[in-house]
Amino acid sequence: MSDLFAAVLTRLSRVPGVRGAMIVDISAGVPVVAEVSEGVPSDSIAALAASLYNRTARAAESVAFGHLDTLQLEADAGHVVIADAGETAVVAVADRSAQLGLVRLEVHRAAEALK
Amino acid sequence: MRRENLDAVVKALRAPTNRFVHEARVRTCLIVNGAGQALAQHGFTRAYEVVNIAALAAAAHAAAGALARLTDGDRWRHLHNAGKRQQMFLAPFRTPVEELILVAIFDEDSSLGLVQLFFDRLVSEIQALPEFQRAAAASSQASFEKDLEAGARRTTSTDGLAEA
Repeated sequence: MSDLFAAVLTRLSRVPGVRGAMIVDISAGVPVVAEVSEGVPSDSIAALAASLYNRTARAAESVAFGHLDTLQLEADAGHVVIADAGETAVVAVADRSAQLGLVRLEVHRAAEALK
Repeated sequence: MRRENLDAVVKALRAPTNRFVHEARVRTCLIVNGAGQALAQHGFTRAYEVVNIAALAAAAHAAAGALARLTDGDRWRHLHNAGKRQQMFLAPFRTPVEELILVAIFDEDSSLGLVQLFFDRLVSEIQALPEFQRAAAASSQASFEKDLEAGARRTTSTDGLAEA
């Protein structure tokens, strides 16, 4: 399993503009494995991404939108993409310059590989 | 063990404790010193609950410290107990004058990662408080129990309650 995690993260972190990729335990809010550039606080991102995902999933259910698959956050300095992978979630942190479509595609691929 | 400046300490801890509870979304939380004296709390309404949990937290801290030393560990960072509905996070931290212990109980509204994240911020805030820059007078054997009760009473009384 750890080989799979490593392969998934390596592929995702090679996407141009991706500064960090991690697999997060969605209920504990802690990183399972992470591959991040220097200065990217993986523990904080994992905690906040899991919290955001859980709350949004509950909101989606409460308005009968069904299961939450992907969550995308856009900010001045970049993007955070979170995709459901069962008990875990795949999280990518990307620069503003990153090709968002490609990042999303790779995050989805990673999540599917882990399900 | 604090007695003479207990009111000031309880008051000083109120704001950082409230911020932690709000940001980390914990249900209840308690800050005690190594002797088991409660200095701040949120979510408890009865003094005896505070006294019991404070004593157990201090005992758990002492036992875990002894275990760490036996296994050549320096010190332990936190204990986490994940129950079916609720989880408990227990972590010691140092201030310039004494070691304190945080006990936080949370449910599915929060997570271990979130509690850890805001715990670090809480520690930084408490370490900077002037009330934790100067050592408090040591407790005598005779006044030990009274000091414990004073902590529980001050943190659960209406004017000393560390809640919003």
